[in-house]
Amino acid sequence: MAAIADVSQAGQAAPGPARPGSRRRSFPAWRWLILLAAGAYFLIPLYAAFRFAGFAAFGQIFSQVGFSDALILSVKLAVVTTLITLALMLPTTIYVHLRLPRLRPLLESITILPIVIPPVVLILGVLQVSPAQLKASPYLLGLEYVILAMPFAYRSLDAGLRALDLRTLVDASNSLGARWITTLWRVIMPNLRSGLLSATVLTVALVLGEFTMASLDQYQTFPVWIVAFDQTSGPVSVAASLFALLVTWVFLLAIAAIGGRAGRGGASQVTLFTVTRQDRGDSR
Amino acid sequence: MTTNASASQVTEAQPPRTAGQDGAAVELRAVSRSFGAVRALDGLSLEIAPGELVALLGPSGCGKTTALRIVAGFEAADSGSVTVSGRDVLHVPAAKRDMGMVFQSYSLFPNMSALDNVGFGLRMRKQGGAERKRRAGELLDLVGLGGHARHYPHQLSGGQQQRVALARALAIEPQVLLLDEPLSALDAKVRLQLREMIRSVQQRLGTTTLFVTHDQEEALSMADRVGVMRDGRLEQVAVPGELYANPATAFVAEFVGTMNRIPAGLLTPTQVRPIGGAGQDAAARAQADTGDVLVRPEELQIAVRPGGNGIVTDRTFLGAVTRVSVLLSGDVTVKVDQPTTAAAEMTPGTSVEVSLPDTPVLVAERQ
Repeated sequence: MAAIADVSQAGQAAPGPARPGSRRRSFPAWRWLILLAAGAYFLIPLYAAFRFAGFAAFGQIFSQVGFSDALILSVKLAVVTTLITLALMLPTTIYVHLRLPRLRPLLESITILPIVIPPVVLILGVLQVSPAQLKASPYLLGLEYVILAMPFAYRSLDAGLRALDLRTLVDASNSLGARWITTLWRVIMPNLRSGLLSATVLTVALVLGEFTMASLDQYQTFPVWIVAFDQTSGPVSVAASLFALLVTWVFLLAIAAIGGRAGRGGASQVTLFTVTRQDRGDSR
Repeated sequence: MTTNASASQVTEAQPPRTAGQDGAAVELRAVSRSFGAVRALDGLSLEIAPGELVALLGPSGCGKTTALRIVAGFEAADSGSVTVSGRDVLHVPAAKRDMGMVFQSYSLFPNMSALDNVGFGLRMRKQGGAERKRRAGELLDLVGLGGHARHYPHQLSGGQQQRVALARALAIEPQVLLLDEPLSALDAKVRLQLREMIRSVQQRLGTTTLFVTHDQEEALSMADRVGVMRDGRLEQVAVPGELYANPATAFVAEFVGTMNRIPAGLLTPTQVRPIGGAGQDAAARAQADTGDVLVRPEELQIAVRPGGNGIVTDRTFLGAVTRVSVLLSGDVTVKVDQPTTAAAEMTPGTSVEVSLPDTPVLVAERQ
């Protein structure tokens, strides 16, 4: 090892983390004003809703007729939609990044279509191609939600993959003897964890909040139940809406926390549509 | 035009074979690869002896990385064969070729510590946890990073990451080690240290190695033999000294080291007219064939002489030697290396006499 000892000093100093406060920016008063105005815009309606509902209404949510059925249906749809969306979009996005990078702009255009096409048209489209036994099942909504979730899932995964040197990581894994499925499971997915979580949360949030399609298809998902229940008890309906918002927030906080942990492990951080590429070491 | 080697001829020194080395012999035979209309490899043939380190050197786009990726299994060849220890591997997937590779860009898996990165290939080979960690630890020690086993890639500097990548590639005891410009992202000092380390480790382990670089200094200092590539073909494969002293083609001569190209008249296919002589003998100039003489800066002779054939235009201090730029008649500038003490009197504007050596490196077609 003597010959190696000399060179072991090469680049010993690792890039250290930036000191907290070492790049502290000034935060002028006008920024505080904008922050406060935006905060008031979001928080005042929530506070008003909370005042309208009152504490008692929150306790009554869980005992209302149809609440648990609607919530369970929405959760089931969220799980099914998320699984189908990731199963479709993850391999597709990876394949496009690796083999067909020139098709990325086209894929971006295609995945934006569900946002601009009216829900009624999407429903009719899904009804045309779905198997007969699914047409009488609420899981038909799952297929419709997969289309709705596509723009968000694609962009989350795309942002995560752009933060990686995917080609090199895949080649390195293959050269070390890993098969494709191993490379996907042990190399790509752990480093895409934040992107996967982002896609999952956006899909879940979309399913838990979607009203139009469920209403047109006449299935009582949680948002449809809230609107229907609003006719009988306004305060409880508003409390249920706040409860749904709370659940979504918990998901968002979870992704922020898990994304942060992924960053400490060296993977890139992806929070919704923003990507923070980890330093890949300097040239020392 | 006669040169000391035809421009299209490929001269290939026999690979040195050393007893006791356990690396694999690698042979590329007439390998071709096109990307659309671009012919990246054009019938490339190369033999690498067991335990040998061969560098592929060439400008960007010459096909050297394509050749490496075909050997690694990341690219398919349109035609030809690649054999390792006599076995054709062209149809073997990259994961089963048993080749370690260090990439140009940092390729460590960001979600794994240095130890887990090095142990990844062993894990793929179903090696048990304890044995895997022991072996990975040994390899990290080998590259001088035993104390960084628990560090993640983003906690390591670029040089350290490439050393871990080397350890990871060597951990699987590959038949062939492939190095794809592994030092190009590093600064000069670390590059020099890693260059020595890679060579030292490669020689100690006797692993057959194919090294791709566009840096001639790297290639000449590390490789047993260097193959100079151009337009998908090998121009010459030779040991570094041979490549420098006896380049087979004008391209090799000018790509490797510093070279002067001086227009000159040819008296015979191997005899050139002395510098400055052409302008004095119009009849002889009309009769003689013309060409360019390629000659190294250290081979040109120079002396201060009033009314000589050149004027000093510049000097560059290089330490023990100084490179003197001289403007010759015919608007040709040449570089001449002189001991720094001797060059002291050759200030810009000094009239000097520059003369060719008896046997120039190469005589090439006039450009």
